[in-house]
Amino acid sequence: MRRVFYLVQKEFRQIRREKAYIAIIFLMPFVQLVILGYAITTDVRNVGVVVVDQDHSRYSRAILASLETGETFQLLGTVPTERAARRLLDRGKAVVAVIVPHGFGQNLLRGEQPALQLLLDGVDGNSSGVALGYLQGLLAGLQLEWVREVPELARQIQSIHLIVPEPRLWYNENLVSVNHIVPGILAVLLTMITLFLTAMNIVREREIGTMEQLQVTPIRGWELILGKVLPFVLLGFLLLNVGILAVQLIFAIPMQGSLLLLYLMSLLFMLSTLGLGILISTLAHTQQQAMFIAWFFSIFTILLSGFFIPIENMPDVIQYLTYSNPLRYFMTVIRAIYQKGSELPVLLDEVAGMALIAGITISTAVIRLRKRNV
Amino acid sequence: MSDPVPVTTLPPAVVVDRLTRNFGTFTAVDQVSFNVSPGEIFGFLGANGAGKTTTIRMLCGLLLPTSGNATVHGNDIYTQPNRIKACIGYMSQRFSLYEDLTVRENIQFYGGIYGLRRETIMQKTTELLQELDLVDKADQLTGALPLGWKQRLALSTSLLHDPPLLFLDEPTSGVDPQSRRRFWLLIHRLAAEGKTIFVTTHYMDEAEYCHRISIMAQGRLVELDTPSALRDKYDCDTMQEVFLRTVSGSPSL
Ligand SMILES: Nc1ncnc2c1ncn2[C@@H]1O[C@H](COP(=O)(O)OP(=O)(O)O)[C@@H](O)[C@H]1O
Ligand SMILES: [Mg+2]
Repeated sequence: MRRVFYLVQKEFRQIRREKAYIAIIFLMPFVQLVILGYAITTDVRNVGVVVVDQDHSRYSRAILASLETGETFQLLGTVPTERAARRLLDRGKAVVAVIVPHGFGQNLLRGEQPALQLLLDGVDGNSSGVALGYLQGLLAGLQLEWVREVPELARQIQSIHLIVPEPRLWYNENLVSVNHIVPGILAVLLTMITLFLTAMNIVREREIGTMEQLQVTPIRGWELILGKVLPFVLLGFLLLNVGILAVQLIFAIPMQGSLLLLYLMSLLFMLSTLGLGILISTLAHTQQQAMFIAWFFSIFTILLSGFFIPIENMPDVIQYLTYSNPLRYFMTVIRAIYQKGSELPVLLDEVAGMALIAGITISTAVIRLRKRNV
Repeated sequence: MSDPVPVTTLPPAVVVDRLTRNFGTFTAVDQVSFNVSPGEIFGFLGANGAGKTTTIRMLCGLLLPTSGNATVHGNDIYTQPNRIKACIGYMSQRFSLYEDLTVRENIQFYGGIYGLRRETIMQKTTELLQELDLVDKADQLTGALPLGWKQRLALSTSLLHDPPLLFLDEPTSGVDPQSRRRFWLLIHRLAAEGKTIFVTTHYMDEAEYCHRISIMAQGRLVELDTPSALRDKYDCDTMQEVFLRTVSGSPSL
């Protein structure tokens, strides 16, 4: 056991001197969350809107009022002219301008379907597209109310049996995909880091010859493994916590469940990925090879984890394959803890899955490391 | 530096019997047999690729032989590799200290790995630093040391657990002549303390410093005797010539 202490101490001394590690642990979560979080998520918040109200009717005021509610839009105010609105768009102050033309309300009542002009900042085509979608939804809601006030249409409506479905998503009520994606990014980060760092670290020791030097000492296989696993588990925890902090700071997503439970689950998860990392290191002769194999594995673990593509949507064969993927379980776990505040009893299947994989990868790694090159 | 071969009645430190190792269809070590006596400086000579490292790695328990037998301090290399590891020091042909640790940290680390107690490690560290003239470089990164110093540091760390038997694989390769001499002085002092030293080299002049020399070529052991006996046998003045005669395939005798 004392040997393990010396191994861990040595590892931390090396880590402390390696600036790349520090960057990976403290910057990567922020960078990845920002990049992935904003690239992948489809929801848009606090889109700056200006309104050019040339109508000053009940209807234009209703549009203003509905823009003020909800988190999607942030009503910056009204400006008198379209030119003023364009200026705000040009300067990036606003992303959307809604122009309610003169006579809008009257024309609407006459059933003339007046035009409502929408100006969108096209620089970020993606999110302004999404903003447009929200805006159309919002206007559709208003139309539903207004349609009854138009005498001609009101008559037609009575003969239509209108079903109003009321979708309610139980968790993640506003279908905020950020809440779903972001904890997933944390899981992906943890996978990549633990997998790559362990694999590279051990292969590096083999390349420079220190691994052979360790193998002629009376050190045991499990001591060597523990001496590698412990530092990277601690590093993983550090990363996890920086990640949790980043999630809080950047996305303000609260964790519904217990932090302690997430820690325990992360430990279990990291044991399985670290085991895999060590196994990868026994397959590779050079750091480049290790990098390549780790890359290969991480693509599969991420694709088959339900991170982008829900597992239910995969072909049956692939679905079975996902059971061998530790990230599949951890993805479920971290999302459940973040979004539903799930407790341990409902996560026992995932615990079993990760424990089994950790057991297999680590014991195989011990055997492979102990074995002399035959 | 011509100490007599230590005469001893102790059992041999290393017994090698028809040891063979294949890599695929290629035979790197071919039916090699020899004994090493306790307290002896046993030199292993051979060109690159002769099979020296492969032999040493089998004896240290790093590599399984294809066939043949060997014992190291009475321990069988197949069944008792862990007992062997406790009684040998090994310095591989690659520099294998951590370059991103300081000199002191390297000594501490290997001391800890060999299971020394904390006080022993502290004491050994002080001793070693003084001995190696490294006191003022103790907190420098090991990677920044000149090669000769690195090699002596590596030798010293492989001695931390005070093993009776040392395997040194090309310990002086790439080192300047002055440093090589200092290194060999260290080896002789260790032998005088009673340690058995198994050393490989491709510097022929170093062969003179060994008690006995074996010459390896293409996986086979082609000669094994004292330097003077070999010079007499081939009627040469230097080991260089002896070596050239043996590996050029001229019949022995
Ligand atoms: N792991 C290995 N796989 C395949 N061939 C090897 C391996 N290790 C050594 N060899 C080959 O065995 C031969 C002997 O190598 P080695 O024992 O390192 O020679 P030396 O130490 O005398 O220079 C060389 O031809 C080398 O290429
Ligand atoms: Mg060699």
